[in-house]
Amino acid sequence: MKTKISLIALGLGLLFTLACTKYPPSTDRLLEDLAVLTQYDTKADFGSYKYYVVATSIKKITDKDTTDITNADAQTILGEISNQMKQRGYLPAPSGTKADLGLSVMYFQNTYVYTYSYNYWGYYYPYYPYYPYYPTYYTSYTAGMLLIEMQDLKNYNPTTQKVYIRWDAFIRGLMTGTHTNSDLVASVDQAFIQTPQIQASGK
Amino acid sequence: MKKVVSLIILVVLALGTMQAQETKAPGFTPHSYYTFSWNTAFPLGDFHKWVSQPGPAGFDIGGRYLLRKGLFTGFNVSWQRVSEIYNAQTYTIPDKGIALTAENYRFTWMVPFQVVIGYHFIPDKLISPYVSLGIGGDYMEHHLLIQEYDIYKTYWDFSLTPEIGALVKFGAFSPVGAIIAFNYKWTTNHIDIYQTTSKDLQMLNLRIGITYMLR
Repeated sequence: MKTKISLIALGLGLLFTLACTKYPPSTDRLLEDLAVLTQYDTKADFGSYKYYVVATSIKKITDKDTTDITNADAQTILGEISNQMKQRGYLPAPSGTKADLGLSVMYFQNTYVYTYSYNYWGYYYPYYPYYPYYPTYYTSYTAGMLLIEMQDLKNYNPTTQKVYIRWDAFIRGLMTGTHTNSDLVASVDQAFIQTPQIQASGK
Repeated sequence: MKKVVSLIILVVLALGTMQAQETKAPGFTPHSYYTFSWNTAFPLGDFHKWVSQPGPAGFDIGGRYLLRKGLFTGFNVSWQRVSEIYNAQTYTIPDKGIALTAENYRFTWMVPFQVVIGYHFIPDKLISPYVSLGIGGDYMEHHLLIQEYDIYKTYWDFSLTPEIGALVKFGAFSPVGAIIAFNYKWTTNHIDIYQTTSKDLQMLNLRIGITYMLR
């Protein structure tokens, strides 16, 4: 009887343990999950613009320095921004023509290092019965955020030197080395999908 | 789901009928009994919009005390979690021109604690079907996880739980047995996180566990 009870209790315990699936920790979620946040200028008339220009590189900003990225990932992102602009009815500014909209891309990268220190009280026979030891663990992760800015070059005021930003897209988690080429394209596409207001007139 | 409920009701009633016919079978009516069971919750209605998947992460501890004949009273305290991952959900704030699309994790964990009154049709038999009603409160935490953000709200509310089930003794005079039960829980608990609003949360629960009976 006792064996039967033990087996049932064990079975229930196992079922419960298996059922308690855990979510990944926040550091993993930050590294692998993507979040696309966009905000457009609700007063902007997106139909009033015709020509656009996209930057030829991505400005990478870390806590140490700023560099230009022109690798395959950067070209994929920049190319997809251009594709999306064309699909919304805008035209690439021909050589010698002033663009109405300028799209620049920046990438912010931070590396976080965490130190964990657990306090244990161990028992080391025949030494002093309760001897404390403090193992220390280090872990780090790199988090990044891509920022696409749509600048209003048409209404640039040279006197005040102010450029109005008509649209921002923040893609958190991208370019941390865990995403495929299609993830990059899909993220840029999603930024445009959730901003249907970006539309040239006559499209 | 309806088929499962119908099948459980049928099995419980059939077992009860079979037992009722065995009038000469030996047995005892427990003076009290305690249960520990594994719970699976199936969200219904508005709750199903928040998390649609069944939650097998749960357990329940209960106690019953004989009042007279087959009438028992007691308590139930449970812990339960339901959860789901949504790959891409878009939240908007139109007047500010903001839209956010993100993979998000939703989960609700709850701690119901109820006073229960129940009736066992044939409490002295090997298989003892019963009906009961639990009334009490539910503590619930609703979480929405987006990247490193954990947006959550907690509520205390009223809950009502009608249940059908059966105790199965491992022997005519064995103090140990199994319990299988199915209940419907209705609560005044609600969810109000971002653009998700749900009220009067409801669910079905399947409980399977062990019981210890005292004479």
